[in-house]
Amino acid sequence: MAILLFISVLLIAACGLIYELIAGTVASYLVGDSVFQFSTVIGSYLFAMGIGSFLSRFIHRGLAYRFVWIELVVALVGGFSSALLFLAFAFTQGFQIFLYLIVIVLGVLVGLEIPLLMRIIRDRYHFHEVVSHVLTFDYIGALFASILFPVVLVPQLGLVRSALFFGIVNAAVALWSTFLFRGQLFSPRRLQVMCVIVMALLAAGLANGKRITGLAEDNIYADEIIFSRDTHYQHIVLTKWKDDLRLFLNSHLQFSSRDEYRYHEALVDPGLAAVPVPRRVLVLGGGDGLAVREVLRFPQVESITLVDLDPEMTRLFSTHPFLTALNQKSFLSPKVHIINADAFLWVDSSQDIFDFIVVDFPDPTSYSLGKLYTTVFYSTLSHHLSQQGLFVVQSTSPMFARKSFWCIAETIRQAGFKIYPYHVYVPSFGEWGYVLAGWHDYTPPLSLPQGMRFLTVSGIPSMFEFPPDMAPVAMPANHLNDQILVRTYDHEWREISH
Amino acid sequence: MKTTRREFCALGAAALVGLSLKSDRAIAGRFVNDSFQLGHLLRDGARFPAPRQVIRIPLVIVGGGMAGLSAAWRLQKRGFADFVLLEMNEQPGGNSRWGENEVTRYPWAAHYVPVPGKEAEYVQELFTDLGVLKDGKWDERYLCFDPQERLFLHGRWQEGIEPEPGTPRDREQFRRFAELMQSFRASGGFTIPLEIGLSRKHAALDQISFAAWLENNGFNSKPLLWYMNYACRDDYGALAAETSAWAGIHYFSSREPQEKGPLTWPEGNGWIVRQLLSRVGQFVRGEQMVYRIQRNKTSFRVFAGDTEYRCQCVIFAAPTFLAPYLMEGMPRLHDFQYSPWLTANLTLETIPQSRGLQPAWDNVIMDSPTLGYVDAMHQSLRTFADRTVWTFYWALAEGTPAANRQMLLEKDWAYWKEAILTDLGRVHKDIRKCVSRIDIMRMGHAMVRPAVGVIFSLERSRLRNSDDRLYFANSDLSGISIFEEAQFHGVTAAQRALRALGC
Repeated sequence: MAILLFISVLLIAACGLIYELIAGTVASYLVGDSVFQFSTVIGSYLFAMGIGSFLSRFIHRGLAYRFVWIELVVALVGGFSSALLFLAFAFTQGFQIFLYLIVIVLGVLVGLEIPLLMRIIRDRYHFHEVVSHVLTFDYIGALFASILFPVVLVPQLGLVRSALFFGIVNAAVALWSTFLFRGQLFSPRRLQVMCVIVMALLAAGLANGKRITGLAEDNIYADEIIFSRDTHYQHIVLTKWKDDLRLFLNSHLQFSSRDEYRYHEALVDPGLAAVPVPRRVLVLGGGDGLAVREVLRFPQVESITLVDLDPEMTRLFSTHPFLTALNQKSFLSPKVHIINADAFLWVDSSQDIFDFIVVDFPDPTSYSLGKLYTTVFYSTLSHHLSQQGLFVVQSTSPMFARKSFWCIAETIRQAGFKIYPYHVYVPSFGEWGYVLAGWHDYTPPLSLPQGMRFLTVSGIPSMFEFPPDMAPVAMPANHLNDQILVRTYDHEWREISH
Repeated sequence: MKTTRREFCALGAAALVGLSLKSDRAIAGRFVNDSFQLGHLLRDGARFPAPRQVIRIPLVIVGGGMAGLSAAWRLQKRGFADFVLLEMNEQPGGNSRWGENEVTRYPWAAHYVPVPGKEAEYVQELFTDLGVLKDGKWDERYLCFDPQERLFLHGRWQEGIEPEPGTPRDREQFRRFAELMQSFRASGGFTIPLEIGLSRKHAALDQISFAAWLENNGFNSKPLLWYMNYACRDDYGALAAETSAWAGIHYFSSREPQEKGPLTWPEGNGWIVRQLLSRVGQFVRGEQMVYRIQRNKTSFRVFAGDTEYRCQCVIFAAPTFLAPYLMEGMPRLHDFQYSPWLTANLTLETIPQSRGLQPAWDNVIMDSPTLGYVDAMHQSLRTFADRTVWTFYWALAEGTPAANRQMLLEKDWAYWKEAILTDLGRVHKDIRKCVSRIDIMRMGHAMVRPAVGVIFSLERSRLRNSDDRLYFANSDLSGISIFEEAQFHGVTAAQRALRALGC
């Protein structure tokens, strides 16, 4: 009897500490600055426990009954604390409010537990024994939790499910106490039913823990969010950490300001510098204006047409000071004509001819985007390419999605072009690939515009060489009626993320 | 006016409820394209006013569906322009009619053509004319985009309409069925157009139902039988138990299993109608219901609206069962039964959510009495579509066609609207929040039913081969209501008429 009682003390102590550790860890993980997060979480938790201890004096009757209820509330709040914090971070602006609210509620309740428990059992033992035993097991529980947390829980269960698991333990202690203290309870049966309900809720959460984190992680970014907007077409997020500005569209990284020049110089210059007289340029996608910035380095270019679906996107990159600094106000150039339209429909209906075309669409993650990588798309595009012209297609990573990359290359080839695939290393993306295509043989340029940070004339030819781990693989072309690329791409990226 | 405290509280509560509950959309809509009123005038022997003008013309085509338009196409290609096509409805197209709203064009019934095989010469010729087939290659814009089909079962969407066989026994039966169909295909007796391969060798299959044939051959796997019934409902508007085994087998053995099609357009086969109308539209007279055809020694008198046409030849491309009501002395037909259908076009302001596979072109719900829906925006080149139109198909296959026709007439629009939303609500919980409009088309005699004995019926083959200056052309002559049969009979009738006219 006694040992069972003290084991439950040990368990509640462990639970209390686990919730505190989880709150601190989630906060450091999501917001960063772990010293500050842990200090403030632990401080406010301990202080709230003090409040709880103080409040315990106002509870006079029904001690055992109230103790079981407190255990149940702690089980629920603590059990779901981690999931709530992730979701609060992902979907609200008030993460800190949720964090300290949860920490204080838990602290107050946990602070009530031990004083109440001591009073419940004071008639069974001498006072000095009660204090000694309860506090001993309390501290053993703390040690137990602090070792279990980093060694077993976080690596095995993760933060969301660890909290839920200890919520169940807490509710089990509540259930257990209804038997331990049944002499002091008026209607233990009702409390037992409540305990079972709480345990079932937590168990359901445990079974769905993966989905909760998945839901939240889609909305979680490593750095501070400086801009976030749901437009009609997509979810735009800009994050900033020191001098690194990152753009995410529907949670997919589009660029990092630290190395985007590598991506965009490689996208535009090897092709454009090789076109004999580039007067008219078309950019499809590229609503960030960074490809246009590269095109504007070429004084011969007289007009640039940019077709991007989302007017919010092009407006943002025409007006936001951080972003216009990055694209050097490229959208404000009198040479640039912005058209907000669905690219395929525009290409299908327009009559204009261009000397160089930049195709900079998001990766083929869905059947809708997959349409923009088909034989029909490239043959429609061919009506817009001048005799000496070239076009370039961003073609995902030949390293991580090797089959997808070569599938895009084959699709362009089957649409009737000569193809020249190449790749560069962009640290925030990894190894990245492009396909340059045209009617004639391609010769790398003998000169480049001033001010390049990455490309050199002598370096360009080597970009067209593929080492064995990225070398061509035989792939069929991607057609509207089979969308083999979307299937391949999905398969390849899934393999990497698992 | 003074507001009491109680009233104030009630108002506040109402306002709160209004703010907090996201209510379902108000759904507009009505019955459209009803044509039974006109049909019933004929059935009930109504009197029509005497004609006010007489037009002499060598050839009249009755009916502006795919068969009539195909006849016109052939005539025009042969340089023959002395004819007129009379269509009862305002809009020609028959089962290939289409509609259009601010979102997209959409079909009212027939919505695809399988990539034609080598036997379907006229279809190949038509598609070459229309630029769909160029230098032996199909224009990929018109081949159905991926993903084509999905089936809702076990709480989520799976790819393809053939249900995944669950047990080894199911798998074995699907495999054995495929093998049997392959051997029927190899026999050459099951072709499109049907007449080319039709052989008495397989006539016995027309004497039993498809369900009986399946049973005789030891097929009892549940998913397989569901799939067989689905196929019969989809192409014939009938259950397997009421379909000729010959027709059931034809469905599976007349086409190559690995085709890259079908050919489809946002407005379904309405696209073909639009292309044909741009070529032969000048011959088409809409809202001209033919109510009497009188045969004289060397000519016909065709009465429609306020006009009497005097002609040497008639191509009767309207549903054949109507002919006895129009032609004096023609006996009633017995082997022409039709399935009643209901189609609906749903305008969606947002795309409903789905579990499992991403939205496909054709979306079928397992164990639903309906045939599911087709997404009109699927074949758009657009990469971003937030609104769309779904065409919902429902062949009223259970029960007798007569009882179902009665039900089509009796139930009001709200009844069908609820039935459709309930069916879709099983797979899209948020459907009522997405739909803004449901227009419904009722067709009592939508398509011919290949019941037992119908394919090899003497009555049918006699009408098919009639060669006395009146040529039948509707797809129902084949006993199977598909585009290729309509086109085949339309073109064949036109060629016979040209020969009779000495052109």
